[in-house]
Amino acid sequence: MLSRITHLLPLELKAILERLPAQVQEQLEEIRIREGRPLEIGMGGQSRFAANDGTLLTQAGGAYKPTADLCRKLLERMTNYSLYAMEEELRRGFITVAGGHRVGLAGRTILDNGSVRGIREIGAFNIRIAREVPGSAAPLMPKLLDRSRKTVRSTLVLAPPQQGKTTLVRDIARSVSYGLWGGGDAASWPGRKVAIVDERSELAACVRGIPTFDIGPRSDVMDACPKAEGMMMLLRSMSPDVIIADEIGRPEDGEAIREASHAGVSVIATAHAYDAEDARGRPVLRSLLEEGAFSLIVELRRTPSGIMHRVLTAEACVRGWAAREPTAVVPRLAEDAAPLFSGLMRGDAMC
Amino acid sequence: MLKLFGALLILFAGTMLGFQQAARFAARPRQLRQTAHALQRLETEIGYGHTPLPEALTRTSAFVPAPLNRMLALASEGLASDEGLSFRESWERAVREIWGATAMRSNEQAVLIRLGSTLGISDREDQLKHLKLALIQLKAEEDSAREDQARYETMWKSLGVLIAVLLVILMV
Repeated sequence: MLSRITHLLPLELKAILERLPAQVQEQLEEIRIREGRPLEIGMGGQSRFAANDGTLLTQAGGAYKPTADLCRKLLERMTNYSLYAMEEELRRGFITVAGGHRVGLAGRTILDNGSVRGIREIGAFNIRIAREVPGSAAPLMPKLLDRSRKTVRSTLVLAPPQQGKTTLVRDIARSVSYGLWGGGDAASWPGRKVAIVDERSELAACVRGIPTFDIGPRSDVMDACPKAEGMMMLLRSMSPDVIIADEIGRPEDGEAIREASHAGVSVIATAHAYDAEDARGRPVLRSLLEEGAFSLIVELRRTPSGIMHRVLTAEACVRGWAAREPTAVVPRLAEDAAPLFSGLMRGDAMC
Repeated sequence: MLKLFGALLILFAGTMLGFQQAARFAARPRQLRQTAHALQRLETEIGYGHTPLPEALTRTSAFVPAPLNRMLALASEGLASDEGLSFRESWERAVREIWGATAMRSNEQAVLIRLGSTLGISDREDQLKHLKLALIQLKAEEDSAREDQARYETMWKSLGVLIAVLLVILMV
């Protein structure tokens, strides 16, 4: 995994990371660089500090500390020596580089009328290595099918950060687009037109408008576009069967999803939430689920043996909520409808 | 006969020397102006085009005459190489490498090198300010270079001949 991003790193940092054990290099998920503080490595959901000779430490003492010069070089390389061309990215706090890797930034913000206009004096970087895991959605696909319409059902994927949401929906996009429905009577169904709104350039990792990940032959991508607007644009212009969006949560996203679901388009979206119960606390997600804009919820959970998923119907979930409201009259429906953990996705680590 | 030949040789050499010096005085304001044009173009690329710096340098280098085009191209190539240079290092190396081929002096070299330490690492507004500042400084140098040109260009032209004549007279 390391080899995918070495061209972005200053020589000194590259040398240290290349001294890491091969297995660690392969599992690398995050590289966290903070000026004057220990170099941190994230892999397999764990965090370690890296020393100058490439050994991994659990304690910060003795770890390599990046210098100001190194951070400056790193920033230059991440921004292609052109911070001025990245104003929108700085406002959002991260840069997506070729290959779909996301570099989060932290520093001192510049305010303009009370809202963040950018970041200057950037002192911390979090490089998240993107990876595609073709086939990671395969165990899940049969559970998402809408047999009457020969397509997928509207699905909301829920998980905390770093559990593999983006990787999963990317593979769902690929599967739907190729028509890989997961066998059975669905094997003969044709692929469907997929429209992807890729606000963070993570799903398709477009470089100059061309996706670098395999997202299927029938997929169109609106790159770096605000989700709500992008969904409406694609809905009107590309006649999609399925719309895919990452990390929804704002009221305008909800509006666009409602629009799409009433237009007969399946929507597959991800959101940050620990589980369905957690999503209830987020007004936009809650109202979308209550209105039936999504028919399925998928929860992802990373375990040492791989990534687990759990599929539940939105209807059952909403009924479960209602059951626990003080005025509810159906007390035990929640248990009846709750499916079990099923399917073990062996995609190793995903981001 | 031989004496006459030698005297002619000295006269020729002196004249050439004078003309060469004069040419340097004429070239300096011209090159300063060209540098300013290059920076103005860079300003447009950064300010309106949002062009990434390596590409902006390459594009600009196509529009400026030698030897400045080489400076911009070298700076851009340094970034693409795998030596791990920062922009400041690559830029400074390019400036120093072509400096001998220009008629410009250390003042304007300092202006360019200072500019190199700010390019690419701040927001658009800040970049434009730094470029403006460099342009103003170059303009001031250009003005003084023009004064020098008016003062010394013709002087050196005749001085070369006159020194040669003096040498010939002393030797004869």
